[in-house]
Amino acid sequence: MSLSVPADIEKEIDERITHYPVSRRSAVLPVLHILQRHFRFLSEDAVSWTAAKLGLEPIQVLEVVTFYPGFRQEAPGKVHIRVCRTLSCAMAGSYELLDNLCQAAGIDASRMGHHHPFAVSKDGRFSIEFVECLASCGSAPVCLVEDELHERVSPETAPDLLARYS
Amino acid sequence: MVTLNPTTHAYLDGQLLAFQPGDTILKFVDRHKGRGFVPTLCDAPQLDPYGACRVCSVEVALKEDGPRRVVASCHTPLSAGMHVHTQTQKVQKLRRNIVELVLTDHPLDCLTCEVNGNCELQTVAAKVGIRKVRYPEGKNHLNRQKDLSHPYMTSDLSKCINCSRCVRACDEVQGQFVLSMHGRGFDARIIKGFDTSFEDSECVSCGACSQACPTSAISDIFQSKAIVATEKTRTICTYCGVGCNLDVATKNNEVLSIQAPLDAEVNFAHTCLKGRYAFRFYNHPDRLRKPLIRTNGHFEEVTWEQAYAHIVENLTRIRAEYGPDSIAGISSARCTNEENYLMQKFIRAVIGTNNIDCCARVCHSPTAFGMQQSFGTGAATNSVEDLQHTQCILVIGANPTEGHPVTGAKIKQRAMKGVPLIVIDPREIEIVKYAKHHLQLRPGTNVALLNMFAYFILEGGMVDRDFVGSRCENWSEFEAGLRSLDLDQIEEVTGVPREKVRAAATEYAESPASMSFHGLGVTEHSMGAKTVMLIANLAMMTGNIGRPGVGVNPLRGQNNVQGAADMGCQPHQGAGYMRVNDPAMQRLYQDFYGMPVSGEIGLKIPEMFEAARNGRLKALWLMGEDVVQTDPNSEAVKESMNALDFLVVQEIFMTETAKFANVILPAASFLEKSGTFTNAERRVQRVNAAVPPLEGTKPDGQIICEIMQHMGYPQADYTADGVLEEISRVVPFFKGATWEGLGDNGKQWPVKEGNVGTPIMHLDSFKRGLGKFHFFAWQESQEVLEHGLEFPYILTTGRLLEHYNCGTMTRRTGNADIVVEDVVVINPADAAKKGVTGGDWVRLFSARGEVRLRSRISEEVKPGVIYTTFHFPEHLVNNITSDVHDSDTLCPEYKVVAIDFERVGSGDEPAGLPIREKGRAHTLPV
Ligand code: SF4
Ligand code: SF4
Ligand code: SF4
Ligand code: FES
Ligand code: FES
Repeated sequence: MSLSVPADIEKEIDERITHYPVSRRSAVLPVLHILQRHFRFLSEDAVSWTAAKLGLEPIQVLEVVTFYPGFRQEAPGKVHIRVCRTLSCAMAGSYELLDNLCQAAGIDASRMGHHHPFAVSKDGRFSIEFVECLASCGSAPVCLVEDELHERVSPETAPDLLARYS
Repeated sequence: MVTLNPTTHAYLDGQLLAFQPGDTILKFVDRHKGRGFVPTLCDAPQLDPYGACRVCSVEVALKEDGPRRVVASCHTPLSAGMHVHTQTQKVQKLRRNIVELVLTDHPLDCLTCEVNGNCELQTVAAKVGIRKVRYPEGKNHLNRQKDLSHPYMTSDLSKCINCSRCVRACDEVQGQFVLSMHGRGFDARIIKGFDTSFEDSECVSCGACSQACPTSAISDIFQSKAIVATEKTRTICTYCGVGCNLDVATKNNEVLSIQAPLDAEVNFAHTCLKGRYAFRFYNHPDRLRKPLIRTNGHFEEVTWEQAYAHIVENLTRIRAEYGPDSIAGISSARCTNEENYLMQKFIRAVIGTNNIDCCARVCHSPTAFGMQQSFGTGAATNSVEDLQHTQCILVIGANPTEGHPVTGAKIKQRAMKGVPLIVIDPREIEIVKYAKHHLQLRPGTNVALLNMFAYFILEGGMVDRDFVGSRCENWSEFEAGLRSLDLDQIEEVTGVPREKVRAAATEYAESPASMSFHGLGVTEHSMGAKTVMLIANLAMMTGNIGRPGVGVNPLRGQNNVQGAADMGCQPHQGAGYMRVNDPAMQRLYQDFYGMPVSGEIGLKIPEMFEAARNGRLKALWLMGEDVVQTDPNSEAVKESMNALDFLVVQEIFMTETAKFANVILPAASFLEKSGTFTNAERRVQRVNAAVPPLEGTKPDGQIICEIMQHMGYPQADYTADGVLEEISRVVPFFKGATWEGLGDNGKQWPVKEGNVGTPIMHLDSFKRGLGKFHFFAWQESQEVLEHGLEFPYILTTGRLLEHYNCGTMTRRTGNADIVVEDVVVINPADAAKKGVTGGDWVRLFSARGEVRLRSRISEEVKPGVIYTTFHFPEHLVNNITSDVHDSDTLCPEYKVVAIDFERVGSGDEPAGLPIREKGRAHTLPV
């Protein structure tokens, strides 16, 4: 197994596992979240590592990874942007926002699919994902750049937004 | 009028009926109306309820006129007094619509589909009344690629209905976790491993998924679910002591495919790849089809009559000249009880000697001997079914997932459900992954380790004094022995820290029910029988005898190794284990056979070989044994074969041993014969011929009957039920067994009057009265003492899942495409010392000879220990194995060989050895 997990991350994971004393299988999701946060996506090695950690079979972890579009099996760009696609935001222009962001970042949006819901720019700097409600409907349209929430983003400002992260 | 018992009855479509505790609604309906009354798609009897398809929907209400709810019956528990409505318009409409939607994404090419007529989707669609699909064609998955990568398993996922039955079969039945549902919603699909092919996945081709799949989405190259066969025959697998039941589909006297019966108590819809798929050896062109007599150094085809006449002439001559003890027979644990019985009868009553033995000598003779010393009976005390009741599993010197795959899968399943598992084995075998304790001892130190194990039970005050006091004897000697142990020395020789042993011993002793399994890693040692007695000690001192979920359970290797010994293929005991040198028993056999029999104990196999070499043994009859390839120290065995005056071999293929024969008699395989096999849990099961013997061949039993007749003995012609009847009159524990009464699932012996079997033995007392403790101090193997300095590594041998013994059969099947050679496993530290990298050719040499094998580097063995299999006799691993034997039973010590090794070349070089290429024809170098 070639995944090298830093000691502090492993410590955090070990601690998190103690929250699930009954079934180690329940700890799969939190462990994957921590690993994805650190590695930015979940490689096959990450899947095997998680399985070994929890005493599960790799495929029992893989099926969870593939079930949730929120888990990425490929590396995103350096800056990952999540644009809300749900009703309030959609009505307030999030589809346009997505298009503009993609154009400004040089991303081919046609490569986004249901199970591969994001696409990466050619230079690898940006990736954009069209996601369900980000729980800030009142300030639609919204997007998350990494962990930073941007509210009332009007579609024309897409290039400016990117520029702030370049 | 039936009165409502509120705890046991519910209403089924208005009718008040009884249910059983734990019933789901579907089980309740199935029991009263038959399977299929309520349609199902994702449910299967061999799997846990799942509730994915909702085709089994029914309406339920708590009161007669109360509000109704639609629920999936397969996974909804039934409660008392519930009203279940299975045929309302509402549920019928619902079912129809579900199936209709499934069909929108299913190729409608039933007429050309391999399972046409035996497809559950087809059946259910017809049942719910679908005539046409109303929905327009939409997005679908009809263009998915087939996976034909594997020698056996196939998939065509355009036929998949996402019921997850295959996934659950792989997880719940086999425990391999190869399959899974990838993604979700419309994109959900079945994957293998990390989304690869069957060939590249970890699949062990057990076929459980194929059998569970309701359509042809997962299948196999034999198209096992197709209904082209005209006949189905239930029989027993020939490959191991688990004794799986098989349903063999045939047409025009040819075997088409094999499935596992759903009602088989032993293997409930499960097999391993040997039982289900490795059958094509039976009509292989290499099969012998004519009797052969050696004349002037080559074999000539003769008629059966000529062969018999030649045999009679020679055996009569040799007996007259040198006496009956100059003749010997070796029977086969592959053959049926009836054939083994006849073979020993032929040798004892017709020839007049006790020189009869069988291949149990090279595997489990120490088990039979050891358990007889401790308990009085040399057989498993409990049943595999007891795994459901046990609370601690101890596996010693056995690799069940490879050697006894179906039992291995059950052990694994229990361990995954949290039953603590203790593994005592020099190697990190597959089940170690699921084990709570692994005591990785140095090969050859079982006795030392088990002594320490027992010591900690004693020291921890965990001895069951009541059991020991009331049911056992010789405790004080054993206790004194344990107290005299030198734990430091044991730690040093075994290489296992004492705290680990203490923890495992505590687990075993404190669990309310502990069950042990052992295999050849216990018996094939110089102290094999003694180790077995120590395992019996552990069970006795903790009171783990005579209840469900406990006991001492040998995992016996060959399909009928239990039966061969039961039937008397041993030099010291006749049919039913009566001692031949006891005058009363001699008289009993004499009266029964109507012939004088010898009261002298006969020769064991290694003694026969020796007697042949020094001229005392003149003639040998071998039934289905390739001793040259499978017995240790091949060169000496060959010398013995050469020294014989007359050798008769009954075989299905021209084996290395058969080449030495004077007469070769072409026998029939298990698929062509009837009789009974006794599995490792003493279960006597019926073997039924699925096809007639290949032209020119005869079943072994018939051959023996005919030779007895030709020698002038009035033996009746061979019939399975006739010989079984004869056996039941002499073998006490077969007393109540009849062919009819054995039924589909067989009976566990002792079979009492009226075909009553015995799942658990020694309930209130032991066969020998009191169970006897024995103490033995550990002794270093002679092999290590003599050669250890010069050859510092210990070679230990084992088996693979895919092959059977020297591969005579499995290597003539697709299994040869899965595993192509024996390799030697070396610890990275040792490999580094000798400059070996993975795949390199390595020369192993011992005091007796050398072999060259390719290497695999792995930490599954500890430094100092080398491991290999010996399924590929052309590698001649037995050239280096030793002549050391178990001191009590002469079982050879295959598990401890002192060797050294060196690198002889990189993996690309052929190193003068044939490398079997993948996909090469399944023909063996002869
Ligand atoms: S054949 Fe057996 S091991 Fe292979 S995928 Fe099917 S169930 Fe799993
Ligand atoms: S392959 Fe067969 S068993 Fe597996 S999900 Fe598809 S239809 Fe069901
Ligand atoms: S587990 Fe044994 S008896 Fe069962 S199918 Fe496999 S080889 Fe045959
Ligand atoms: S709809 Fe966009 S944040 Fe809720
Ligand atoms: S059979 Fe019950 S939900 Fe599928």
